[in-house]
Amino acid sequence: MSTDPLIGRLTAELQPVRRQSPRRAALILAVLCVTEIIVLLSLGWMRPDMPRAMGMPSFWWKTASLTVIMMIGATTTLRSLNPIRSPRPGLRALGYVVLAALAAGWMIDAAQVGPIVLWRRLDPVHGLRCARKIIELSLPVALALGVLVRRGASVDPRGTAWAAGSAAAAWGALAFVMACPFDDPLYVAVWYSLGCGVVSLVTRLALPLLTRW
Amino acid sequence: MAAAQNGDADAYRHVLGEASAWLRRYFQRRLPPSMVDDAVQDTLLAVHEKRHTFDPAQGFAPWIAAIARYKWIDRLRAMRRVDMTSLDDELPVMDHENAVTAAHALERLLTLLKPAQAEVIRLVKLQGFSIEEAARRTGQSAALVKVNIHRGLGRLSDVVMRGADVD
Repeated sequence: MSTDPLIGRLTAELQPVRRQSPRRAALILAVLCVTEIIVLLSLGWMRPDMPRAMGMPSFWWKTASLTVIMMIGATTTLRSLNPIRSPRPGLRALGYVVLAALAAGWMIDAAQVGPIVLWRRLDPVHGLRCARKIIELSLPVALALGVLVRRGASVDPRGTAWAAGSAAAAWGALAFVMACPFDDPLYVAVWYSLGCGVVSLVTRLALPLLTRW
Repeated sequence: MAAAQNGDADAYRHVLGEASAWLRRYFQRRLPPSMVDDAVQDTLLAVHEKRHTFDPAQGFAPWIAAIARYKWIDRLRAMRRVDMTSLDDELPVMDHENAVTAAHALERLLTLLKPAQAEVIRLVKLQGFSIEEAARRTGQSAALVKVNIHRGLGRLSDVVMRGADVD
């Protein structure tokens, strides 16, 4: 079967295109994140004891961990929109960072003194609310990444979806850090992981279906 | 391709023509002959649709090779969903070279699977036996033959995805 008719049709349809740019995509994401933060601050989302919280190691632990996860996830996603780039190295790095973050959280937790009942520390009622808010806050970035991935040409849609989900989830959690009054590493490790895990998993399942090419 | 991104139709026609010939050779070495034309056309459409992702700094060959490989994996996955019917014993054919190369490539990939999976894929997908015939020949139940084909082809897709090729 000759491909000449197809080539003729595609040539006739040819229009100039704007070349894909990871920097432009990163800028779009950055603007979206800043906008979301401004909206949240204007709604009075900041925790009232922020100055005190900023003196605690656990606050910086969760902020730094989520920032690194978000940056690696977003970079991996945007790089993998080029078909010659694989998201796998970035995903491996993400796995190591998550493990390192949990280990760091454990060390900070071990330094705390005083016996506290595990169930009380976990506080499931607030924990589930936190997880739900993380999911809600991650939606704008998840949608933006979905649009970018759909326009790109990832040759590993599942890997790219994991990276995008991780980035969106980490962003949702990072935005929530401003409002969350809980600093117990155990609480953060359990409920933040739950919220981030749901976002990552749903993105991993849905994005490859929506971005087939 | 960089000129085509700016709307140069002559350059685009030229690059698609070259790409078409290369893709035909690429898929002839990796797919059964009946799937080659569709794979070439599908890949050309993908090239057209995703031409904005081409970066001249990285060269055209790696870019189109990555897209072709993606489409090849897509075809391997599609084989899981397609029932193949057996062919008549005598069919006129012109040239066996590419078919032999493709069969050799698939044979090499099949060595990466469990024997039970490789055997039923070989019988049903490459030699055209029905599920029932393959079940009789291998001693597996018909349901197990289907499961082994499904899992085996899924494993093949994953193996190719993680970097194995047949060159």
